[in-house]
Amino acid sequence: MLDLSPDWGVILTHFAPELILVIGALGLLSYDLYVRGKDGLQPWITLGVLLAAALATGWLYTMDPAEVFEGRSAGEVFRSGAFLSDSFTHFFRLMSVLTAGLVTLSGIAYMRGKTAFKGEFYAFVLFAALAMNLMAGANDLIVIALGIEFLSLVSYILTGYIREDRLSIEGGLKYFLYGSITSAAMLFGLTYLYGIAGSTSLPVIAEAVRQPENLVVTHLSTFIVPAALFLVLAGIGFKVAIAPFHQWSPDAYQGAPTPVTAFLSVGPKAAGFAVMMRLFITVFGTPELSATWLGVLGALAGLTMILGNVAALTQSDVKRMMAYSSIAQAGYMLVGIAAFGGTALMGTTPLGAVLFFILAYLFTNLGAFAVIIAVDRLTGSSSVSAFAGLSKRSPFLAIALTIFFLSLIGIPPLSGFFGKFAVFGAAVASDMFGLAVVGVLTGVVSAVYYFQIVKTMYFGDPAEGGALRPSPGVVFVVATALVMTLIIGLVPQPFIEIANQAVTALEPIAGSMVAR
Amino acid sequence: MLAAFAPLAVLAAIAIGLGLIILAFSFYIGPRDPSPVKSQTYESGMTALGPAQRRVPVRFYLIATLFILFDIEVIYLYPWAVQYRSLVAEQGWGALASMGVFIGVLVLGFVHVWRKGALDWD
Repeated sequence: MLDLSPDWGVILTHFAPELILVIGALGLLSYDLYVRGKDGLQPWITLGVLLAAALATGWLYTMDPAEVFEGRSAGEVFRSGAFLSDSFTHFFRLMSVLTAGLVTLSGIAYMRGKTAFKGEFYAFVLFAALAMNLMAGANDLIVIALGIEFLSLVSYILTGYIREDRLSIEGGLKYFLYGSITSAAMLFGLTYLYGIAGSTSLPVIAEAVRQPENLVVTHLSTFIVPAALFLVLAGIGFKVAIAPFHQWSPDAYQGAPTPVTAFLSVGPKAAGFAVMMRLFITVFGTPELSATWLGVLGALAGLTMILGNVAALTQSDVKRMMAYSSIAQAGYMLVGIAAFGGTALMGTTPLGAVLFFILAYLFTNLGAFAVIIAVDRLTGSSSVSAFAGLSKRSPFLAIALTIFFLSLIGIPPLSGFFGKFAVFGAAVASDMFGLAVVGVLTGVVSAVYYFQIVKTMYFGDPAEGGALRPSPGVVFVVATALVMTLIIGLVPQPFIEIANQAVTALEPIAGSMVAR
Repeated sequence: MLAAFAPLAVLAAIAIGLGLIILAFSFYIGPRDPSPVKSQTYESGMTALGPAQRRVPVRFYLIATLFILFDIEVIYLYPWAVQYRSLVAEQGWGALASMGVFIGVLVLGFVHVWRKGALDWD
């Protein structure tokens, strides 16, 4: 029998980053009520709260696992609750804090004067980070559904944040409409999972599907499991923007305020992949069960890479182009998940490769977006022509954007190269040559659209000549992202180890958790 | 396995079929004698005033949204109140504290709405 009496000390300890984010966001909302109209401290409070959450996560990271799990094995902990505070969650907690922090820093100057609801904007950034944490640690269908809905609602609001801007409203509305439908599909799929197992708890479902004769509904299970998984995949695929659930993303990316676009391109993707890994690998990761979804996942990965990279070729708005580019990047991440059964390569496990890829992608993409935010703010446009002659107007931004694009293409020795190398290496190691070939070929295609921008920056004639002075926040983010892109590229080993350590929380459960 | 659902399908077919048959009968063989009075909008015996699609102040949406928000949140109080004794037995002060936090967040939302002027009618 389950012991329902909560241990408050354990809850407060292992939920500390989330509690800090909740209290910080609510506090920020209250603070904002009393500084109406003034240029307050909202961004700095946000950064302080995020720093506190990061420190709390670091504190949890350094805890002795034996003490954390109180001598229980990872599998036993997996069975224990609706929210897991393990190394996998810690990794994504850091991802969410980093994303929110870099987006806040690069967006301070951009958001100033754009909206009358400034405090709420930063509170929503904190809520978004909280939602990502909840998704990463979710160990129960209800927490998964609530986490995804929470992040979705925050994303819709942030996308349509500038009420005076028709594109922003349009993007928000399209995002909302697509999101409602895919949410409905996902919830429908989750009800099937509940129906066959009789529980919303992932470990209970995991045990149920491994012993088909004990299922509540046995006679339809061979059909229901793949159907339910596909419906759930639609919901998660919408959040991470993989084809064919990506149609919302170019419009939402283009319409959203540019810092929000930067957030959308990293935050929901990372959190969505966290949920996908937790659900698909830990629950449905055995060889027999994974046969039901691996084919679909692989096909979607191929489709996503092709569609994202080809559609990006013809875009004339940089934010739209980055939307398709980030769709393509989601395809690369999906390759790593599809190859999860493969052997280790260059020290990475396939899932570790995905996490490493996300880490590298986070810094590179947020850095690129910081440049776009600056150009958008200073020229008032995010079309390709706004970047013309950027090399003369701001050599720093131009060279930085070029390096970020090189990393996104996957040129050594930048971080993107090792991300792609690890992911495609995993695909080759698990005999998915087709996906690896598609990935490499579409990567070549991607060079074309990235270099169209680079060409415009260096050889295009600017409409007006003045020098562009990026805000201190943008300069800081661009510099940080540059340094991290280079460091992760030159010295990948420590980061690979962090990623590998994070997925150890998944792997033993994937292998033999229920074979007790 | 699916055969177990056959009676349900038969019932659905009968229900839909019967409805269609009745509609078809009244449509084809019912007498028709339209007059201006008969084709008027039915408004509980009153004379209809103006069209049905009138413009409504957008403020009603805000009020309705706020009402639904607080209404749904308050519903959570009922199961908690019913189960309060057993919750206290299980969790001690935590039973009261958790609902206190919930209400606290609710109050914060209310203060926020108030201070932002969403409750000002003009």
